[in-house]
Amino acid sequence: MQVVWSKQNNNNRLNHGVTMQSKDLTEYFSENLFVANLKAKTKAKSLEELSDLFVANKVIRTKGIVLEMLNQRETLGSTGIGKGVAIPHGRTTAALDVTIAFGKSKNGIDFDSVDKELVKLIFVVLAPPQDDNNRYLPVLGKLVEVVHDKANREKLLQAKTFEELMQVFEEVG
Amino acid sequence: MLNKQLDLLVALQDLDIMIKDIDDVKQIGFDVEGREKLDEARNELTEKLSKPLAFNYEKLKKRYKRAIVPVKDDFCLGCFMRVPTQLITRGREDTAVINCEGCGRILYWYE
Ligand SMILES: [Zn+2]
Repeated sequence: MQVVWSKQNNNNRLNHGVTMQSKDLTEYFSENLFVANLKAKTKAKSLEELSDLFVANKVIRTKGIVLEMLNQRETLGSTGIGKGVAIPHGRTTAALDVTIAFGKSKNGIDFDSVDKELVKLIFVVLAPPQDDNNRYLPVLGKLVEVVHDKANREKLLQAKTFEELMQVFEEVG
Repeated sequence: MLNKQLDLLVALQDLDIMIKDIDDVKQIGFDVEGREKLDEARNELTEKLSKPLAFNYEKLKKRYKRAIVPVKDDFCLGCFMRVPTQLITRGREDTAVINCEGCGRILYWYE
C-alpha cells in the first residue's frame, strides 16, 4: 500500500492549477450511481455490479470495455488503498465525463488490499481520455484525501441515503 | 470478454492511456507496480487484432493524440465533421470499424 495516510496530496502538477474542494466532488456523484448495499461478495463481482450501473445510466455503452480497463488497472496493484476503502479508477475511451459510482458493502469485500482489511466503501472513478478541464486527477486526489480521514470514513459508512452521503463531502469543505 | 475488433481497439487505447497515466496515479498515492504487465496485455491485445487494424491504430497514434475518438450527436469529436448517415448506421451496429472521412481517426459510438 503506497498511500501515505499522514500526508496531504497537494501536488501542484497533479492539480493542474485546478483548485478542488471536497464539496466539489459532489458534482461527480449521482444518486443513480449509488448502491447503499452491494450484492457483490467478491472484488470482481463488485466491479461488475458498479459497471452495470454505468451502463444502466448511459455513462457508458458497453460494460466489457470498462471492466477490461478496471481489471487491467488492478494488475498493477490493488486499488484497495487500505482502511476498508477501494478506489478503482481509470480513463477510458468509452466515457465522456468524469463520473463516480459509489457502493457500500455491509460485510466487506476482499479487495486484496495491502492491509488485508475488507473493503466496505468502493468508489469507481471513470474519466475520458481527453479531459480538457483536467478534472480527473484532482478528483482522484481529493477523494483519496477525504477518505484518509477516519471521521470521514465513519460518516460515509453511516450514510444511508444519497443525501447523507453528499452531506459528508459538503461538510468537509 | 472482448472479441469485437472495435472493442479490442478501444481496450488497446485505454491501455496506452493507462501506461501514460501511471506516474500521475502513483503520485496520488496508488500502488502501481509492474507496468510490464500492461505491456504484456498490450501485446496480447495486438495479436487478437487484424494486422491492418493494428497498423492503422499505430499510424493514427503517431499522428494524433488519440487514434480513436467518440462520435457525439453524429459529429466526430476529433475534427468535428459530421459523420455521413450510412456510416452512422454501420457504426452503431458495431460490426465494422469506421474511420472518420474528415480526419481518418477511428470512430467510437459511445451512446
Ligand atoms: Zn474526424
